Amino acid sequence: MSVMDTLLEIKQKASEELAALDGTAALEALRVRVLGKKGELTALLKGLGQLSPEERPAAGAQINDARAWLQARMDESLARLQAAEREAALQSETIDVTEPRPLPRVGAAHPITLVMNELIDCFTGMGFEVMEGPEVELDHYNFELMNIPKNHPARDAQDTFYMDDNVVLRTHTSPMQARAMLSRKPPIRIICPGRVYRADEVDATHSPVFHQMEGLVVDEHVTMADLRGTLSAFARKMYGEDVSIRFRPSFFPFTEPSAEVDLTCSACHGKGCRICKETGWIEVLGSGMVNPKVLEMCGIDSTRYSGFAFGIGMERLAMRRFGIRDMRLLYEGDARLLGQLR
Amino acid sequence: MKLAMNMLRDYVNIPVTPKEYEERMIMTGTAVEEVVALGGEIDRVVVGRVLACEDVEGTHLHQCTVDAGEGEPLHIVCGAPNVHAGALVPVALDGASLPGGVKIKKGKLRGMVSEGMLCSATELRVPNELYPNVGEEGLLIFREDYPAGSDVKPILGLDDYAVDFDILANRPDCLCALGVARETAAALGTVFRAPEVTVREAGGDIHSEVSIRVEDSDLCPRYAARVIKNVRIGPSPMWLRKYLHGAGLRSINNMVDITNFVMIEYGHPMHAFDLGKVRGRQIIVRRAREGESLTTLDGGLRNLRTSDLVICDEESATGLAGIMGGEESEITDKTAEVMFECASFDRTAVRLTSRALGMRTESGGRFERGVGPATVLEALERACMLVNQLDAGDVVTGLIDLYPAPRAPQVVTASVARIAERAGVAIPAQAMADILTRLSYQVTLDGDRLTATVPPFRSDVDGEADLCEDVLRIYGFDHIGCTRLRGETTQGGVTPMLRLKDRVAHILHGLGYLEVMNYSFQSVREIEKLGLPEGDPRLTPMPIRNPLGEDTSVMRPTLAPDMLKTLAFNMNHGTPAASLYEAAAVFDHHSPTAEGLPLETQTLCLGSYGEGADFYAVRGAVEAILHAQGIRCEVEAGGEAYHHPGRCARLTADGVLYARLGEVHPAVREAFDLPRRAVIAEIDLQAVLAHTVPMGELKPLPRFPSVARDLALVMDEAQAVGPLMAAMRRAGGNLLETIELFDVYRGAQVGQGKKSAAFSLIFRAGDRTLTEQEVAKAMDKVQRSCAQQFGAIIR
Repeated sequence: MSVMDTLLEIKQKASEELAALDGTAALEALRVRVLGKKGELTALLKGLGQLSPEERPAAGAQINDARAWLQARMDESLARLQAAEREAALQSETIDVTEPRPLPRVGAAHPITLVMNELIDCFTGMGFEVMEGPEVELDHYNFELMNIPKNHPARDAQDTFYMDDNVVLRTHTSPMQARAMLSRKPPIRIICPGRVYRADEVDATHSPVFHQMEGLVVDEHVTMADLRGTLSAFARKMYGEDVSIRFRPSFFPFTEPSAEVDLTCSACHGKGCRICKETGWIEVLGSGMVNPKVLEMCGIDSTRYSGFAFGIGMERLAMRRFGIRDMRLLYEGDARLLGQLR
Repeated sequence: MKLAMNMLRDYVNIPVTPKEYEERMIMTGTAVEEVVALGGEIDRVVVGRVLACEDVEGTHLHQCTVDAGEGEPLHIVCGAPNVHAGALVPVALDGASLPGGVKIKKGKLRGMVSEGMLCSATELRVPNELYPNVGEEGLLIFREDYPAGSDVKPILGLDDYAVDFDILANRPDCLCALGVARETAAALGTVFRAPEVTVREAGGDIHSEVSIRVEDSDLCPRYAARVIKNVRIGPSPMWLRKYLHGAGLRSINNMVDITNFVMIEYGHPMHAFDLGKVRGRQIIVRRAREGESLTTLDGGLRNLRTSDLVICDEESATGLAGIMGGEESEITDKTAEVMFECASFDRTAVRLTSRALGMRTESGGRFERGVGPATVLEALERACMLVNQLDAGDVVTGLIDLYPAPRAPQVVTASVARIAERAGVAIPAQAMADILTRLSYQVTLDGDRLTATVPPFRSDVDGEADLCEDVLRIYGFDHIGCTRLRGETTQGGVTPMLRLKDRVAHILHGLGYLEVMNYSFQSVREIEKLGLPEGDPRLTPMPIRNPLGEDTSVMRPTLAPDMLKTLAFNMNHGTPAASLYEAAAVFDHHSPTAEGLPLETQTLCLGSYGEGADFYAVRGAVEAILHAQGIRCEVEAGGEAYHHPGRCARLTADGVLYARLGEVHPAVREAFDLPRRAVIAEIDLQAVLAHTVPMGELKPLPRFPSVARDLALVMDEAQAVGPLMAAMRRAGGNLLETIELFDVYRGAQVGQGKKSAAFSLIFRAGDRTLTEQEVAKAMDKVQRSCAQQFGAIIR
């Protein structure tokens, strides 16, 4: 048989076998048999010596062509077989992705903390610095410097817890105003979040421990319009651009003029509903221009400086935000409720 | 405070709807709680005259013909026993509405046509005090004559609105109709009309009727009195009953009603004495004597302190000044002569006496908030004018007015420019002056200088800021613009403690912890349940002088009891597993601050139970928090009395105690009702903050290969692995990069009372590839140290 015929036979047989291969292992066996060091083509090459020198180059070239052709066919097959094998392997590893598994528990902050953090973000963005102070506070800061002297009826209204004659549980975060003014120089822009205490019996809307955030600005030329602008910016940030805000004249011993601030009821958009007691408004905070008497008592020249202050109750905001109807739930620590927060 | 709107209309025009009125008042500083239409639901009920009334045989019904002013008489069937021909009665016409949503329609009753309904007082809900003695079971029969067809609402006083005002604490002058009317006039820009008071005197001389002495005028700056003889006690007229009803008061009789009316009109609580029962016809106002007591009108025997101001007759104290009169001189049906007292008492004295005796009265409440001396006479004279008007008695000529130190009118000056600057809106000087004039100030303007004489009834005004407030609230807060803060830029930001808490929270949330909040109060009883050793300062926490109850009587010195209670709550409410944390202050009054306040230490408490919540998981959370702050702690066994003695630890570094944690002791679990095991940890956040290591540069990645070696050591069961590993680290020196425990084996192969711990050690040098000899030398040192110090030998 001529080299030519042998090659044809090898190629044809290999082609047939390639077509019938069932895996990469069989392909490898075929490759070794045909193209390997001891394979059929190598054997043929070794047999070239028997040919005449004239025939050798052509026959050699034919063998090399055949090797290249077979190599290409085998590479094709390898790629195809590998793909099929991977496919089969993946198929066998299929899992039921709908099968339920326990979720990793992810914790969350308390509703009050969530609201407090939002407020802190809002005001620190406006250049306010957070200041914190003691919860057990001197009467002097809690009342006297806030223009609520001894035997003032406002002390009854605040139902104070006393430790002794001179020490109280702070009834509001306002004593931080005094601490700020006595320890800093204008411009002062601070917020003071924290726990406050009033001797209220516990019920759905009262708690002897609750949270407030005080705000204080003292500088030259601070105006009531600045107070309105600052609190309007706060309201828009917290409740969206379309919220309406109104300033209702009120009374606090440490501010003059004083205003309570209402926002449009988010439940009825100001139409009036059960939540806002048909008024269309929800009271969110108390505010006012710092009483010049307070400035003077805290060592600030009231003819040169003016200021405004505000105090926001956190519980009410949190209850509204999360639809909590009973304040007691905030202090019960029930994981079934708190676990819904994120 | 409630007032009938028609009463207000006597002093001021209100040309707006009740809704607009409410809005306007709220926005000028007189809060309105609600406006109630007194006859709100009643419609198409008119006066009708029964023309004929025939009994329907075999029933209790009557067939009536009624003239209701509408052409043809109506046929109406009525079951009331007191119906009779000629009676003037309320008729609900076809289509009428009654209170409670009742609708009246023409219909048939036992086959007889009925074109409406005759009404009882109950059906119309006519308050007894408006129309007394109308009978409860029968028809309301009008005593006066009214044309048939007239609307019954004005007749019954139901055409009015009751306005409930919420008066601010600094405006006691507004706790009356005149005060609110003044504010109304200023708010609406209408005119205020004060009542014109004139008294017709009937002769005699007050000084021969009674003598009065004020001994302690510091507590009673003004005391005035009038005497009424030939008192004719009787019912009050309709208009007076209506006004009292609108104010939420009951009509009693003309004399009592007069004093109550003056109280709601002028804000002055008055007292009426039965002068015949005032011993010695003498009144003395003084502080109570040592050991003195009296029986007040409500029958209570009151032991007095020497700071209490009392009203006395010749013999003894008969009333508590400004709070309550005495039983003996109370007005009765038989009273023939009356002394009206109208006075001003010191608000603080009244407040302290009220509180000391636990007596809350309308009068006391008003004096506490402030009733000034300036308007005493007006109120007294108004009462006497009403006596004239109601013909309730004869006013004796003359009055007594003890006012030794009359208050001069108060004058306040202000800078127009400063008020405008404070407001941030340029209100012209004249506009300010006009507003203040509307509020009854007398104002003069001199360039920038505004001088205002404060009206005598205002007790809250003493400076420019008060004028500013009065100007701005009437001008309208909502007419002031909104501006941004100007001036020097300030750096906003949170405190380091808040930043730490925030960071801790993020770590804990990732680990599945939920934040809880508890009251800062605690009870000693709860703390005792922890089983702390005697003398532990936490057993003597800071007490609150006036706590709500024993449960909340001290400031908590530890967060542990609250955490245990919260864990118990969740276990007992069917939550299978929970991890909770609270970050709050604990209070220690044993180490006070420079200001004398208790030390407040921000503390973090973790609590965890359920699957996977073992000691190691909680310790891991604590260590993760400490590592995040760059703090590497030693763990040493031991903890608190409320920890499981074999499962508790302290985390310390360089002598600082950062955390204590442990499984809850079974006895403590029982005390706190924890049915399952739980682990709690307490971390001193103040210490963590103080020792936080700031982030520095990162370590470069290693450039030379490492060499790993495993080592299994057999040791006594009781040998703690922590100290062993610390010793291995020391022995391994700089070349030992990390050391990890990967297995602990107990069993037959290592023998009873022994355990085998397997460690993986990684060696590396930063500047070269380690040689086999170097590693072998280091391993040898490690092994020797374990063997020598701990008797731990290679397995």
